[in-house]
Order: sequence, then C-alpha cells, then structure tokens
Amino acid sequence: MATATLPLRLLPSKTLTLTTLPSARRSLSVAAVEPRRWHLRAAAEESPEAVEVEFVEAEEEPAVPEPVEAQLAAAGAGKDADIFAVVMIGSRQYIVMPGRYIYTQRLKGANVNDQIILNKVLLVSTREKAYIGMPVVTNAAVHAVVEEQGRDDKVIVFKFKKKKKYQRKLGHRQPNTRLRITGISGSEEYPADPILDPAAA
Amino acid sequence: MDYMEGGKLFRRSSNWKMNKGKIFKLAKGFRGRAKNCIRIARERVEKALQYSYRDRHNKKRDMRSLWIERINSGTRLHGVNYGKFMHGLMKENIQLNRKVLSELSMHEPYSFKALVDVSRTSFPGNRPVKKEGLAAIL
Repeated sequence: MATATLPLRLLPSKTLTLTTLPSARRSLSVAAVEPRRWHLRAAAEESPEAVEVEFVEAEEEPAVPEPVEAQLAAAGAGKDADIFAVVMIGSRQYIVMPGRYIYTQRLKGANVNDQIILNKVLLVSTREKAYIGMPVVTNAAVHAVVEEQGRDDKVIVFKFKKKKKYQRKLGHRQPNTRLRITGISGSEEYPADPILDPAAA
Repeated sequence: MDYMEGGKLFRRSSNWKMNKGKIFKLAKGFRGRAKNCIRIARERVEKALQYSYRDRHNKKRDMRSLWIERINSGTRLHGVNYGKFMHGLMKENIQLNRKVLSELSMHEPYSFKALVDVSRTSFPGNRPVKKEGLAAIL
C-alpha cells in the first residue's frame, strides 16, 4: 500500500480561476495521453505516443534506469497531473493520480494487463473544483491497468513466551497487486461541488 | 553446545549446526558485541523479532494518532477543532479516512479547506474565523 511519496502537487500559482478553466479542461484530456516520463526505464524503451490503454512493452525486466535528476529535468514542469481522486479498494483508501501506480490487496480475478474500473470514488479534485462524495461521487470512475500480481516483502512472525519453552517462527509474504492509474473520469456531473476559490481562501 | 534447553532461538534443530549465519544476518546493525558474538547476538535477535511482532500491531495505533494530530493542526488553522470537524463529516456521510485526510491537510490545502467548509456548514459549533491584522480593522 505504498502511495506516492512525492508531494501531490505544487500550490497553484495562478490566481485567476475563470480564465484558466478551459485550459485546465484541455490539459486534463492531454495529461491522460502524455508519456509517463518519470518512470524509471531507459528512454528508448518508452513509446513516444504512450497510449494509455495497451502496454506493448513487456513489463518483466526493467532496463538500466536513467538517473532520476535527468528524468525530472526532462519532464519539466508538466509533471503534476491536474486531477486526483481518493478511491477505496479492499477497504483501504488511496490517493491516486493518473500516471502513477499503487499497491493494493491481491485482486483475485484479475490477470496482468487487465483494464479495471474502480467505482468507489470518495473524492475527486481538480485545480478549480473539489467533488466531495457523500459518501461516493456518483458516476465517477478511475481507470487502471493491472501491472503485476506479486507479493510484499517477507515479514518474520516470531512468537515467544519466556521461561515456558514456547516459540514459533513463521515467514509471511502478503500477495499484492500493482495497479497503474490511467485516468479519472465521470466527475463533472456531480451536483455538490464546492468551488475552490484561492482568492477567498 | 547443549541443546537441552529448548528456549533459545534456532537450537531446536536436530543437527548440530546452530544456524549462526542466519542469526548474524538478522543481527546486522546491532550495537557492540551483539552483532559479532553468537551468544549475545542470539538473545538480541530473539528480542528484536519479538519487538517487531509487537510493533507491527503498534504501528497501526501510532499512525492513527499521528494522522489525528495532523488533521487537528490542519483544521485549527481554519478555526475548527478536530472533534467538531469529524462530527461534521460524519453527519454529511463523508467516509474519507484519517490517513487520507491527513495527507490532504498536508499537500492539498484547497481541497482540505473545502472539506472544512462542508463540515462547518453541517455542524456550526465553532468560533468564527478571526480576521487578523488589517482585516480586523476594516
């Protein structure tokens, strides 16, 4: 359940909200098809027009990764997406942004490279608006692709009672699933959306 | 070594080897002789494994109280304290958990303020936001 540890977004520096609304909508649709520049793979492996749905390259073996600074410099300021959502999977809540991955509990019926739609969206927030679900934002959906069905790191379960000659040692690896978030949709028609107004904050 | 006492770690195996390598691998980073000498390392590794079992349960409690602290400080910036904030959210049937709320209060201040406003309209039991400085005079 490791979420991204980078800051979710920089504080918005733009003060005008109305004029930036159409550009935010446009960049919203563009951000979904932007290549995932921050991904730690060699640049030659990435397809230049990264289609959000089909993953052509094999995910098994990663190539030699470029240094992170070079990738961040290449990514530029457009790294942060304009939308994020809070989604509930397996009774845990995650903050998701398109282009990043999350580790969840093992989804039993899913195979690798399956498209998944997550329906329990509790909050969707863009740069201008926040759609707070009560409890769920209706008709909102988060699209994800199953990347890998693996296991967590091993934990050693060691039980011990002193002076009673009782000890048990057990190793445990919890199965997990890695999901790559490809897009967040369906939140525009939600009625209750308090408009974020940085000028009045 | 004697294997009569079965209470020590890794001595229950029937062969004579006492898995020293495994113990020293788990004892990396320990202080002083506990990483080098088998008699001391074995006890310390035992203790370390017990602590890790116990603390895996404690971590969940500690993290929850940390999230509550962060939400509290985040909402008090807006003039609402934690208890009334959560009561307002529960009344509105918003089911965001404390982990997510603490992350929002740290990294998404505008979304968090929207949540605080929702809670305040739903349960107005808090002092009004004080205007400071020049706004108080106007």
